[in-house]
Amino acid sequence: MIALSVAAVLAVFLLYSSIAGGGTPSLRPSSLSGHSGKVSVSGVVLKPVTGDAHGAGLRFRLRDKNGTAAVPIVYKGTVPDAFKAGGDIVVDGRYANGVFTAIPGTLITKCPSKYTPKQTT
Amino acid sequence: MLTAALVIGALLAVAAVWFVARPFLGREPDVLPAEPPPERLALEEERDRALAALKDLEFDHRTGKISDDDYRGLVGDLRRDAAEALKALDRGTPRADARVPD
Amino acid sequence: MPELGRAALVVCFGLALYAVVAGFWGAHTRRRRLSRSAQNALVAAFACTIVASAVLLVALARSDFTFTYVAQHTSRELPTPYKLASFYGGQEGSLLLWLLVLTGYSTAAVLLDRKAGRELVVWVVPVLGVVAAFFSMLVVFVASPFHTQLANVDGAGLNPSLQSPYFQIHPPLLYLGYVGLTVPFAFAMGALLSGRTDERWIVATRRWTLAAWMFLGVGQLLGAKWAYEEVGWGGYYAWDPVENAALMPWLAATAFLHSVMVQEKKGMLKVWNMLLVMLAFSLSLFGTFLTRSGVLNSIHSFTESSIGPWFLGFICFVVAASLALLFYRLPMLRAKTKLESLVSREATFLYNNLLLVALCLTILWGVTFPILSEAVRGEAVTVGRPYYNFFFRSFGLPLLLLMGIGPLIAWRRASLSSLKRIFFGPTVFALAVGILLIALGAGSSLPGLIAYTFSAFVAATIVLEFARGTAARRTLSGDSVPRAFTSLIARNRRRYGGYVVHAAIVLLAIGIAGSSAYNTSRSARLGPGQSLKLRDYTLVYRGVTNTRSANAIEERATIDVYRGGSRIAVMHPGKNDYPVEQQVSNEVAIRSDWLTGEDLFLITEQVNGNGTIDFKAIINPLVNMIWLAGLVFVLGSVITLWPDAREEQRLAIRYGRLARAPEPQA
Repeated sequence: MIALSVAAVLAVFLLYSSIAGGGTPSLRPSSLSGHSGKVSVSGVVLKPVTGDAHGAGLRFRLRDKNGTAAVPIVYKGTVPDAFKAGGDIVVDGRYANGVFTAIPGTLITKCPSKYTPKQTT
Repeated sequence: MLTAALVIGALLAVAAVWFVARPFLGREPDVLPAEPPPERLALEEERDRALAALKDLEFDHRTGKISDDDYRGLVGDLRRDAAEALKALDRGTPRADARVPD
Repeated sequence: MPELGRAALVVCFGLALYAVVAGFWGAHTRRRRLSRSAQNALVAAFACTIVASAVLLVALARSDFTFTYVAQHTSRELPTPYKLASFYGGQEGSLLLWLLVLTGYSTAAVLLDRKAGRELVVWVVPVLGVVAAFFSMLVVFVASPFHTQLANVDGAGLNPSLQSPYFQIHPPLLYLGYVGLTVPFAFAMGALLSGRTDERWIVATRRWTLAAWMFLGVGQLLGAKWAYEEVGWGGYYAWDPVENAALMPWLAATAFLHSVMVQEKKGMLKVWNMLLVMLAFSLSLFGTFLTRSGVLNSIHSFTESSIGPWFLGFICFVVAASLALLFYRLPMLRAKTKLESLVSREATFLYNNLLLVALCLTILWGVTFPILSEAVRGEAVTVGRPYYNFFFRSFGLPLLLLMGIGPLIAWRRASLSSLKRIFFGPTVFALAVGILLIALGAGSSLPGLIAYTFSAFVAATIVLEFARGTAARRTLSGDSVPRAFTSLIARNRRRYGGYVVHAAIVLLAIGIAGSSAYNTSRSARLGPGQSLKLRDYTLVYRGVTNTRSANAIEERATIDVYRGGSRIAVMHPGKNDYPVEQQVSNEVAIRSDWLTGEDLFLITEQVNGNGTIDFKAIINPLVNMIWLAGLVFVLGSVITLWPDAREEQRLAIRYGRLARAPEPQA
């Protein structure tokens, strides 16, 4: 009986996974090309950081953590406090025509020390 | 500072070794104390379970979760289980107070 | 001084190894002296860990920057409580804390627990020793808190988000929970090793498991409160891997707490209980591994570390060894009794277990999916909130309903007529509440509505249980209502303490449903004097002020809050700038309405040069139910934990300490 239930649960969730189409690919700037859907990109923020996240959009370039490939990013929405040039971030969005347009509010920062959650919705 | 640290560290190590070696310096026999044999324990647990089931039934009946009909239907079985458990335990009694195992 | 710390830990490691070797050998050959010696080694290991911890605490308090650890995690300006709390703020220190709690618990478990019996304890000692040896090995060889360096002028400081009272007690409480699960695991392994299939190990560890489970639950709620107030995005749980790391063992432990009741009453599920306790402990190790090794891209742990591979290896070892042991003893564990009816309390406990474990495993899958997909497809794919929310609802809502059904069904089997009678009242009540809520507009969220309706159902059943119990007590003893009520609880601590905990879960469900399904928010850019309207609140921005505190520059926006035409509050959301740590932290402003339980949550997102601010306001209905639930949860757990003299006596007789002849003396 237990085995049956476990099988049932697995079935439900496998069903869901296939319907939901899985999650969001986590990429680096160098591997962005070829992905047209919603993706997550992580890397290092490069100077200069211009614009207004609550206005026309915050603009900066994001570089591979271990590389030189960089991509320009336009972001609108809440910016976590730890955001600064040289820091690690993760942001969701779409890559098209050489520019990564972020989904508002998805910017998350990483901090060098442990236990440092910085999060926005 | 360093010497204080060394002294405390040495004391700690010595104390630890002494504490660990202590049982070997005692006079107690080197065997584990007697314990009820597993079969008897199983019987006792069986008895406790049967008695607890009766108690639960009473409680559920008193608090109105089980109707009088259901109670009458179930209590006979449970009483029988309890009686059997007690009998089995009595039968097993002579083998209680096990000697020291070797 | 660091030499003392290092030396103490080396001695501790040696003692732990001795406890393992001597413990296993002594238990196997049934030699009392050797076993006793191994037990003493564990206690001595605790003493050594205390010494090492004291050395670190003193160094932290004195800001001794010759300790690399102190320099990395504190600064001179840091207030002393936070300096001391940094003990567990970094990797090395938190491993030392794990070791401290582990050796402390081990000492208490083997010294204080008389119910367990020598035959069991002699096997428990070496198992505890194995875990202690692992952690002491880590702090001696891989991640030592006692590295030294040339002293800096000042340290790197503590991350400002962590400078909060919640975060001071959140890790120790969590660790009391995580590490606490080692004890039932060790006793379970001890039972398998000693070849005893009786319930002794469960009886001996029942309170340990409860206490660990309580700490884990409270620790998580405090973490959520910290996230809510300090990180400040308006929510309290982000399904971040580290949050899930604590949730998974808690779910497994919850399942375990319920299924041991079935084993107690019916002697069934012995194998299942073994598996559950192994799962809980392994997840607890896994949780520590997740938080510490940075193996996943989470906002909590982005650093790669040296201890990751060790942890993974140890977890694999623990899982493999315990499964092998279980398999070896499998024939002895087969139960004779079977489930009598699918409609019985045993059955509801089984369904509850299946749902809890299913939820736990889906979270585990979600957490490990990125690593697995990267290994298989070369690309890390993360699952997002929708995945977790879907399964949380799919499993959580039936669980909520079961909480109301279970206590009302009798053991063994329930007849249809009694079911109809019992559930009639609560069902009608719940439906009435549901209809009322739809009229009030709660139909906007179906899961929210279902959650509320189920909560009403469960609440009704709990109230009825207390009422019926008190009435029955009164017929027996003729006491007044308050006396009957208290004596009812006192005589049935486990049952009614459990009901109080269920009530806490109901409050939690209401709070979660309200704040996640029915919240509202708006953002705007405001100049001085401009306002933002959100539902019945009007928020007027007045201006920005800057003040200097001990270690930060505090920038605050002044917001006047109006409701119904009159000003009900002045709130100051803003930001703190920490020059030493070179970080900015969000300082949100929260106003809790005690009548409705809702929160008005204000965030100053950006202060612009021209005097305007970018501003976000959120209303979280009923969110304070969650924190209230925490208090009720502790109350219920304490009631259930409370020692029961009569039960103790009964167990003492059963396990042969009172009715037997005294143990042979030399």
